[in-house]
Amino acid sequence: MTGAELTIDLLAKHGVDEVFGYPGGAIMPIYDALYGAPVKHYLTRHEQGAGFAAVGYARSTGRLGVCLATSGPGATNLITALADAMMDSVPLLAITGQVPTAAIGSDAFQEIDVLGMSLSCTKHSYMVERAEDLAEILQEAMHLAQSGRPGPVLVDIPKDIQMAQVPFKPWLAVDEYLPQLDLNQVAIANQLLSEAKQPVAYVGGGVHAADAQAQLMQFLNKTQMPAVSTLKALGSVLPDYEYDLGMLGMHGGQAANLAVQECDVLVCIGARFDDRVTGNLAKFAAKANVIHLDIDAAEVGKRKPAKASLIADLKTSLPALECVVTPKAWCDHSKQMKVKHAWRYDYPGEKVFAPYLLNQLSQRMPSTSVVCCDVGQHQMWVAQHMKFSHPCNHLSSGGAGTMGFGLPAAIGAQIARKDDFVITVSGDGSIMMNIQELATIRRNNLPVKILILDNQRLGMVRQWQELFFEGRYSETNLSDNPDFVQLAAVFGIAGQTITHANQVDDAITALLNSDGPYIVHACIDDKENVWPLVPPGAANDEMMTEKAQ
Amino acid sequence: MKHSLTIALKSQSVAIERFLRVVRHRGFDLTHLQLNMDDGQYNMAMTVDSDKPIYLLTSQLNKLVDVKHVTLQSLQQQVV
Repeated sequence: MTGAELTIDLLAKHGVDEVFGYPGGAIMPIYDALYGAPVKHYLTRHEQGAGFAAVGYARSTGRLGVCLATSGPGATNLITALADAMMDSVPLLAITGQVPTAAIGSDAFQEIDVLGMSLSCTKHSYMVERAEDLAEILQEAMHLAQSGRPGPVLVDIPKDIQMAQVPFKPWLAVDEYLPQLDLNQVAIANQLLSEAKQPVAYVGGGVHAADAQAQLMQFLNKTQMPAVSTLKALGSVLPDYEYDLGMLGMHGGQAANLAVQECDVLVCIGARFDDRVTGNLAKFAAKANVIHLDIDAAEVGKRKPAKASLIADLKTSLPALECVVTPKAWCDHSKQMKVKHAWRYDYPGEKVFAPYLLNQLSQRMPSTSVVCCDVGQHQMWVAQHMKFSHPCNHLSSGGAGTMGFGLPAAIGAQIARKDDFVITVSGDGSIMMNIQELATIRRNNLPVKILILDNQRLGMVRQWQELFFEGRYSETNLSDNPDFVQLAAVFGIAGQTITHANQVDDAITALLNSDGPYIVHACIDDKENVWPLVPPGAANDEMMTEKAQ
Repeated sequence: MKHSLTIALKSQSVAIERFLRVVRHRGFDLTHLQLNMDDGQYNMAMTVDSDKPIYLLTSQLNKLVDVKHVTLQSLQQQVV
């Protein structure tokens, strides 16, 4: 068996039946082995599209995503997707072709030191130096990508090793360090919980990574503890949970941010006190003792000290917490804040109001739908105004904040979940960053839906220019964008443009009823901003609101 | 504040680069480095300088797949 055949064989044996990629010279033997193989390959039109499709595939299912690229520019084009997967802890395997071993270091055609480039954007990476190591490396790579805190792993395979006859060697799992719960820390945590008057659960993306939604909801239902979520956690707390206060942070809801600022115990569950969550860190939950649950010890105390640290899989650590019923006065106060600061959709204008559109779409689409965002104002409106029943239904580039994520991620999600309604919500800036993937939708006849919220601007940057740069709108006017419906039509995708509020309901109906791909191009007010906003350097209870403007 | 560490790394290619990248990225200046290859592993003695608490570095280094152990000499304890 050649190295290329072994690579495909091992993928299949590990349950990988769908991969994304783009061929080229140094990875041709692997593409030759793919020909007629049981592993189905989806050709994207750019390697970054392949990387994000694999991320979408992984995040929408919890399974390993796999992407392939050739050496040199093929591999460099994958780097942004790897960085995105690193920041958001996504199980991803990237396989890149490399120039033949004898040519490495000679500045050969399409030779780049991919291993060197991978260091800052992968959990681990390899270049296969000996044919006899290939089998073990691939098996270890697949394991590492999915174990502990998941992340991207890259395997760079020189072309001669792909073509060589290679032996199969089973990979024997080494004794892996799995953190065990420290019972002393559990006791401290439970003491804090028993004394808490105003506790809040701060829920992060770790719940999805650990597949611990059931344990989370069991804890919340028993304690009735008010819960706030990070962008990546949305969907972890079920929408009908009485004390769900929604997203916290820079564009979080007021109830969520105020509850955290007032709390006396903050139970951090698989989150990492990201700067977009905390605002001014010194003023974040300043009165609270922190109980931090995470599988990654490096996250505990990295940004905010913890009184108790439960370093273990959340499936183990969450049930170790005592389910102390939250004082009624605090529960009632949280609910009152939720009502007082509820989102409003009674927009007076005739233009399309994005929050209303997204809220209506959320109410009308099936609960199993997958929403894939790009980055910017539309991303925050999705997080604020749509409801999700599982984090695998809301794919948003969190840590890296990568424009261009949404369309290829939706392609990956649609391929992974063929029977589910999958929609990418994008902006007129972001959609252009991987617009070539419309060809992938067409090639595979995927029923991906596309909603573009078009303000003819790089909206979030424009908002900051208005608020913090005295209205100097440097390079944020995109009014020369193409006609998106015409553009989609070139790829065989039907759609419509809407400009008025009274067209919203029919446009949503068209999206929901379309059997194939469909695009709604919604023109919105170019001056619309995302509210509330915690300005730079401010505490989370110092939010700017629309009324204050 | 300066901290002395001893480290054992697997003798994988790129392991040292990966290790030193983390030291730099996490905000620690390398002021001394000694490296030997013995018994199929890299043994390093290293001194770093930073205003940041040393656990912010050791906790990151311990996550690296190639790291066998990191020992903080100033406290004479293994940080795993």
